[in-house]
Amino acid sequence: MPENRSYNDELNFLDKIDANTWRIKKGFVPNMKVDGFFYVNDLLEKLMFDELRQHSRAAGFGGFLPAMKQIANVAALPGIVQKSVGLPDVHAGYGFAIGNLAAFDMSNPEAVVSPGGVGFDINCGVRLLRTNLDERDVQPVKDELAQAMFDHIPVGVGSKGVIPMGARDLEEALEMGVDWSLREGYAWAEDKEHCEEYGRMLNADQSAVGSKAKKRGLPQLGTLGAGNHYAEIQVVDEIFDDYASQRMGIDHKGQVVVMIHSGSRGFGHQVATDALVAMEKAMKRDKVLTNDRQLACARIHSPEGQEYLKGMACAANFAWVNRSSMTFLSRQAFAKVFNTTPDDLDMQLIYDVSHNIAKMEEHIVDGKQTTLLVHRKGSTRAFPPHHPLIPVDYQLSGQPVLIGGTMGTCSYVLTGTEKGMEQTFGTTCHGAGRAWSRAKSRRNLDYQEVLDRLAELGISIRVASPKLVMEEAPESYKNVTDVVNTCHAVGISKKAIKLRPIAVIKG
Amino acid sequence: MEEEGAEYDPEWEGGEEGDGGEYVCKYEYLDHTADVQLHSWGSDLKEAFEQCAVGMFGYMTEIETVEPLDTYETEAQADDMENLLYQFLDEWLFAFSAEPFFIARDVKIVEFDRENFRIKSVGYGETFDLSKHPQGTEVKAITYSAMQIHEEVDTNDVYVVLDI
Repeated sequence: MPENRSYNDELNFLDKIDANTWRIKKGFVPNMKVDGFFYVNDLLEKLMFDELRQHSRAAGFGGFLPAMKQIANVAALPGIVQKSVGLPDVHAGYGFAIGNLAAFDMSNPEAVVSPGGVGFDINCGVRLLRTNLDERDVQPVKDELAQAMFDHIPVGVGSKGVIPMGARDLEEALEMGVDWSLREGYAWAEDKEHCEEYGRMLNADQSAVGSKAKKRGLPQLGTLGAGNHYAEIQVVDEIFDDYASQRMGIDHKGQVVVMIHSGSRGFGHQVATDALVAMEKAMKRDKVLTNDRQLACARIHSPEGQEYLKGMACAANFAWVNRSSMTFLSRQAFAKVFNTTPDDLDMQLIYDVSHNIAKMEEHIVDGKQTTLLVHRKGSTRAFPPHHPLIPVDYQLSGQPVLIGGTMGTCSYVLTGTEKGMEQTFGTTCHGAGRAWSRAKSRRNLDYQEVLDRLAELGISIRVASPKLVMEEAPESYKNVTDVVNTCHAVGISKKAIKLRPIAVIKG
Repeated sequence: MEEEGAEYDPEWEGGEEGDGGEYVCKYEYLDHTADVQLHSWGSDLKEAFEQCAVGMFGYMTEIETVEPLDTYETEAQADDMENLLYQFLDEWLFAFSAEPFFIARDVKIVEFDRENFRIKSVGYGETFDLSKHPQGTEVKAITYSAMQIHEEVDTNDVYVVLDI
């Protein structure tokens, strides 16, 4: 492995293709089988290169790999097809950068599956519920509503789920996903339609999951989690695409919606951790080499690979059950405050997307239809109009893509495009991506100032951990508008709606 | 070592080192873009590992609010030193995340088998209680990212990134 190259030497491997696109040439790191690409605008470009410069300078004591290197390390994995891609919100993660997309040819016996390419929080994702309420209906009871949501939905460190469940229920939920929620009365039948995989990955097998994961998962089902997870009451701020918005039941500015961002909690993390341990052993056994220990992987068709995929499917199902539970609790909170029913409030699920998942999908590669295992870590599927896997009501407008912004800024709804299908296997960004470290945020931001600023913006906030307020402040993140606009400019997704929060519930 | 009659005692003495009984704090949290990097150290590697575990708990709540009312034991088994640190921390994370939802004020390693990469440790703390312990930041997982174990220096520095 070449020792610290100078920053200028690194630049020799980087090519600017157009205003928003850079290529990372083979040789940037050893063993690259394909090139890497990343999408940026001027601001985001600066952040990427600053990070690379710092890395070239550092002695390596306590340091970490910049996102650009990680994108390249992924390009060195066996069986990777066409390119390793960094979306505009890309930032350094474990093995794979967050916002890193990579697809592997399932018919290639060398091709691998990597838990790092999915993320620890398997099926961390976002869903959006609409209502028929308007901002002026909600403003007078905003605090009451935020409090009701906060009281109904367990949040933060050490919180436990309120929906009664035993070990047997958990095992069923792991295999059935949203079908379990439907059976138990926590979801509406229409919810299934508007969810990736219809809320259930069919290859889930609860016997592939260790008891540690189940023990961690059971108390946490139906909890929001902490960190960057949240539930937000938002209003429609801008409509860019009338037709697509109407298909989603959004027809005017000021319409109230609810966004939930959460994942598979400790369950998913344990599944990922257990898989990493098993795969490390398998890699030693099969002599598989990667550039980074966190890029632990296994041949897709090996026992370890298959075991992981089954466990990952269980974790995905867990997250869908989780989001369904919180949907149920949110519907209850609204119904209570408005003294009516969720049905009368038309609280339908617009869509639910995953941004940490691996999917088996058909794509055209070099003119041929090929089955790929697409790893989307911190990136979202964005299928175009007419794609068979998206619901009937979105066939003409394209798959809705939900992009959660940071606390108190804004969020977006996008739609998938044909260009995205060609360029990035139907993938776009997932959110803002961090700019500042948590420690830096804590040092430079004042808790009261952040809260005051949110109050000035008219945003009610309920948060379990005060420290998190600084860590999650908008200043700590890249600008989600920049990220979304870059994707739009590149053509891999199209803006449909901009949303503005009026209440935030966090862990 | 057990707490008889479980009463909070700031003069409680820990382990064989018997360094006087105050809680030492040989850890800090370092800059990392998305998560947190724990840096711990000690007079030997054992202490650096112990402090790493305490540092992890310290991120999840205000550690001073945790009283050593109970003990809990964990065991970790691995193939190499990095794997061992990973498993050691993961066992404590698991003790917190599932029954008994244990949070430790202090952790002492009672067996550190370097040949076979095994650690047996004891935590002094209590069951996490939302009404008593402020909610800090949840630790989702231990990672190998930028993990470093430096035995060659007197301070035995250990670095590990925790996924938040």
